[in-house]
Amino acid sequence: MYEFFGKHPRLARIVDLLLPVIATLAALGVGAIMLQLLGANPVAAYRALLSGAFGNKNALADTIVRATPLLLVALGICIAFRAGVINIGGEGQLVAGAILGTLVGLWFPEAPGIVIVSLALVAGFIGGAIWGGIPGILKAYFNVNEILSTIMLNIIAVQGMNYLLRGPMIDPVQAQAASRIPQTARLAQAFDLPRLVPTRLHLGALIAVILAFVVYIFLWRTTAGYRIRAVGLNPDASRYAGINVKRNIVLALVLSGAFAGLAGAIQVFGVHHRMFTDGSLAGFTGSAGFNGIVAALFGKLNPLGAIPASFIFGALIVGANSLQRAMQVPAALITALNGLVVIFVVSSEIFSRRLNRSRQIGSDVATATSSSDSSLSSALSVEGDTSQ
Amino acid sequence: MDNAQLIAVLASIVLQASPLIIAVCGEILTERSGVVNLSLDGTMLMAAMLAFVVGMKTQNVWLGFAAAAAIGALFALIIAFGSIRLGQSQVAIGFVLTLLGDDLSAFLGQNYTRMRGVIVPHYGIPILKDIPVIGPIFFNHDIVVYFAMALIAVTWWWLNRTQPGLRLRGSGERPTAAFARGVDVNRQRYFYTILGGALVGIAGAAFSLNVKIGWSDGHIRGMGWVALAIVIFGGWSPIRGAFGALLFGATKALATVLQRAFPQVSVVAFNSLPWVLMILVLVAVGSDYTERFINAMPKSWRRPLRRVLRISPPMALGTPFHEG
Repeated sequence: MYEFFGKHPRLARIVDLLLPVIATLAALGVGAIMLQLLGANPVAAYRALLSGAFGNKNALADTIVRATPLLLVALGICIAFRAGVINIGGEGQLVAGAILGTLVGLWFPEAPGIVIVSLALVAGFIGGAIWGGIPGILKAYFNVNEILSTIMLNIIAVQGMNYLLRGPMIDPVQAQAASRIPQTARLAQAFDLPRLVPTRLHLGALIAVILAFVVYIFLWRTTAGYRIRAVGLNPDASRYAGINVKRNIVLALVLSGAFAGLAGAIQVFGVHHRMFTDGSLAGFTGSAGFNGIVAALFGKLNPLGAIPASFIFGALIVGANSLQRAMQVPAALITALNGLVVIFVVSSEIFSRRLNRSRQIGSDVATATSSSDSSLSSALSVEGDTSQ
Repeated sequence: MDNAQLIAVLASIVLQASPLIIAVCGEILTERSGVVNLSLDGTMLMAAMLAFVVGMKTQNVWLGFAAAAAIGALFALIIAFGSIRLGQSQVAIGFVLTLLGDDLSAFLGQNYTRMRGVIVPHYGIPILKDIPVIGPIFFNHDIVVYFAMALIAVTWWWLNRTQPGLRLRGSGERPTAAFARGVDVNRQRYFYTILGGALVGIAGAAFSLNVKIGWSDGHIRGMGWVALAIVIFGGWSPIRGAFGALLFGATKALATVLQRAFPQVSVVAFNSLPWVLMILVLVAVGSDYTERFINAMPKSWRRPLRRVLRISPPMALGTPFHEG
């Protein structure tokens, strides 16, 4: 099979580009079998999924709204993973950003909307940066494994959120009521992020897409971005080249956290207009901090690739909800389906790499083949550095 | 708190730590061979769910353990195959499997939540359990707890005192050197990844059938990450790892006690306590200042101090090995 593609490099290129789509379809195929086993008609189920995600203007807007935090988190993940830092703390960083942003909104209820919204988004950015910077400093200067510290900071952030929303930040109405639902007061109407069209679509989506391009330019067209990628590809070589590896690890995690924090603030001011918690890790965040990682991997750790990747995941989440309503299938099936898509997409990577290799050998640029392997020096790279 | 209560608390810490010890020993075997199995959290959730369901359906608790070991081995096989054969990132596969295990266990186990299942029968070891203090703390539990204790010793002995253990460590530390000495590095990694995964599965079953009995959505979420943290905290040594698992159980017990003593302090502070402590410990063992402190000590103290205070991962951990 690979020999065949070796002889047809253009075909190989097309198959390579289509691989995520093929993998998604394959996962949906397995999902169809599961639906059949549950006694639901797979065709009708997927029709419900598609129309739920793209059926009309509102559905499409919902999909984009769901994709927005995924994209922002994924942008941060691209930076961190490119620096060789595995940031699993998106959830905690998102919560930290949301808390700081919400505080700004609650402190100045009378101030003009545009000032507060901009301030709150900056606050979210800073909150996430702080929560990302902690594991950065721990890793760079104390050799603490960042996977563990980010996971633990997730748990600590959620505990902190539960405390704040039950105590100091609780809605005064809820504080009087017997139920004491852990949520803040609704932020002033003036602070709602502007809607782009008369749907739930808000300005945050536009910000996220613009930032995707900014991050792309940062990583591949600036010296600072080059340093971050160099540290990720080969820390030792970077050190000999005079790059401050420790500082760049901290910088990557600060930026990574900042984007997750911004996602948190945007969720508050664009979607919920308040913070709330159900006590678990995935209450108010909607698991965006975890799903964003998956979207980033799906987008091959490329900020521009993250745009369609997040969109597809947003569509799956929104479509799955309407599938659940239409077909009475359990919600857990949907999450399992998402997991399957991810597994299939990530495993399709291997074919992608082999295709690339056969293509390169086929088109007599064999000299370049080994470089894509050596760039995998760090255990986490999902791909060779194709963008160079 | 009188003595009897104190002994009861200590005994419960031992019981609570037993699944973590099993998972930690499994992951140590995997990581010492050079592979990171990051999927512990999802694997343990899947295993806990499956063990509970199989145990309930067959009314046989040991079949539940067998099923859990099988699913743990299967998850580990995916990681081994993906990383060794397909050259994929271990971290990416492991992370995705974590999420998948979480979701899939919730989905498949939804009809079995909050039901009565089977449990591991209590078995106090004769004579030993009658030793004052030590007896009730360590020897008045059940087979699973004794298995965890034995596993610590066996894992340590296997790693440090046997030929196969030497090959295992060689594969994780200097794969090229091991390969030159005739060790099939990747076969070692397959074997110990799957064996470690099976143990992690058993750990999940030990939760749902013995320690935190029953099944509900996200039953033991987070414990897999705790186990991974303890592996690092324990410096990839089973004895230190077991110590870490007991310490984690102790901080949780301490948090409960403190909470009762200081009801005015928010519950959040106590819930976060074990995690904050764990980060602080990781900071302490990883910091350069610790190294300076050790070097300031008399020469004969340095080696034992370093063994206690410093940790270093297997050198080839997470890096793929290509023959030739």
